[in-house]
Amino acid sequence: MKRNNSRTALAFASFRRNRIGMLAFWVLVIFYGLAIFADFISPYSYKDEDRNFSYCPPTSVEFVDHGQWGHPFVYGRALTFDTMHRRVYVIDQTQKYPLHFLKNGRLFTVDTPGRFYLWGADARGRDLFSRIWYGARISLSIGLLGVAISFILGLLIGGIAGYYGGWVDSVLMRLCEMFMMIPGFYLMLALRAAVPENFNSVQVYVSVVVILALIGWASLARIIRGMALSLRERDFVLVAKTLGVPDIVIIAKHILPQTISFSCPILMLTVSSYILAEAGLSVVGLGIQDPIPSWGNLLSDAMGIVPVIFAPWILLPGLFIFIAVMCFNVVGDSLRDAFDPMFSKDGAV
Amino acid sequence: MSSLLSINNLTVAVGSKALVDQVSFDVPEGKIVAIAGGSGSGKTTIGLSILRLLPSALNIKQGSIVFEGQDLLQLSSESMRQQRGAHIGMVFQEPLSAFDPLFTIGQQIDEVLAAHTELSVQERYKKVLDILVEVELPDPERAHGSYPHQLSGGMRQRAMVALAYVCGPSLIIADEPTSSLDVTLQVKIMELLIRLKKKNVSILLIAHDLGMISHIADEVIILNQGHVVEKGPVAQVIGDPRHEYTKELVGAFQ
Repeated sequence: MKRNNSRTALAFASFRRNRIGMLAFWVLVIFYGLAIFADFISPYSYKDEDRNFSYCPPTSVEFVDHGQWGHPFVYGRALTFDTMHRRVYVIDQTQKYPLHFLKNGRLFTVDTPGRFYLWGADARGRDLFSRIWYGARISLSIGLLGVAISFILGLLIGGIAGYYGGWVDSVLMRLCEMFMMIPGFYLMLALRAAVPENFNSVQVYVSVVVILALIGWASLARIIRGMALSLRERDFVLVAKTLGVPDIVIIAKHILPQTISFSCPILMLTVSSYILAEAGLSVVGLGIQDPIPSWGNLLSDAMGIVPVIFAPWILLPGLFIFIAVMCFNVVGDSLRDAFDPMFSKDGAV
Repeated sequence: MSSLLSINNLTVAVGSKALVDQVSFDVPEGKIVAIAGGSGSGKTTIGLSILRLLPSALNIKQGSIVFEGQDLLQLSSESMRQQRGAHIGMVFQEPLSAFDPLFTIGQQIDEVLAAHTELSVQERYKKVLDILVEVELPDPERAHGSYPHQLSGGMRQRAMVALAYVCGPSLIIADEPTSSLDVTLQVKIMELLIRLKKKNVSILLIAHDLGMISHIADEVIILNQGHVVEKGPVAQVIGDPRHEYTKELVGAFQ
């Protein structure tokens, strides 16, 4: 029995043939994997600080000791100041700290007082490499959770408005317009201002998710409503009605699945816009609060000109935001092409 | 009372224009009653009125639709939903567009059972297969897992009948069930309807094909522009038409 010929299956098969789309997809899988295993792959905890190593540059891993190859190690560093009273870290070749693998439940680490900064340190001597992957947990999950909530809201409200029409439609669409008429970022700031300032980190996280969800559902609901308006006129919807299938089942099974070719790519594009929105909130200090890292508040360290000039590695979180956002956009675009029968290269529909 | 369905003085209007005007007729238990008439005569409107699924522009102005002793027009929308599918089934003209292309035939029949019964998943699966056997679909296992486009037109129409019949309704409204099929398949579907009739299912057949009507129906109602012009046993109405319009219709058919 040939079952794999549904439209969705065909679209995903076409997506799998798209090399760039698949590359972006696997980059995202790796990012999420590293975020999940942040405890294991990062040498330090996100709040593990050593103020003696403020803005310490990236540590290089040495393999050659006195002309001989051996176990990898790092040199110690001594903090000095130059004539301008700027920090200069001098490599101290007398101190060697061997790299330990799989010690204390971490992939690699060095013994104190040595410090290993693969991608440099921030102002308080915290390891940027570790903080980026702990931050990925926040930044990457917040987008997905926010999108999940706003998609459930958008699909349900759009589906109900389009299916019933009439006054239900009018009321729900006016509600959407109320959310849409306020510019997104200002709405975000206003909603954030409504959240009590004494929230703990989990509560802040949840409130950011909810804020993101509230700014995104309305535009989706409007488009789904338009599609539902046309889909409810299809014969199979009338047939389902004549057979006494409850309205909510008709919406969930016969209206909303028909919109998948539109909503699946949009879902990916929305995730990327939510990652950006979280970063935006956190950069201006309204999102996730230090010491909990997110890519946004890591980047807020790079707001001054001095740190950027003397410690350019603190811009790295921005690169990760860029890569993640671009990957979600590429996956979204590729999915849209995959769902579009006119776009398939081999002409197979 | 032997009437399963009794329609009295039904008037359906769009704005002030009556599309169905003062129509009355009965459907006795275990009989096939046909409504015949040209395009726009209000045949389908009557069918949808019984299920209370008229497009929102159309309103039932007056009359009553008594089914199994209760007036359907007085029911709450939830008890009306429970009537649909469980007690009254409907078969449509175009079986391809009547099925959702994203679900298999089995899933769609299963959905009707899930809406009206408390059966478990396994019981429903068995029941769906039984009904597919009953409407004589060849290879019911395969049909169960097939998407609508994978079946032929005749098989789809059988599946459509299965969909309407699966909950064991006492009335099936068949709206031009054979119009999209070729002649040999039309005969097969007619035979299927006659088999249902023998199981004491009443059928309200909406059709314009007098040949088919004279072949399977017991009674016929001739409708012209929303008015009943003639009704009675098939042999009498078609064999010996009295009204001008009926004569015209019969003449056109011959």
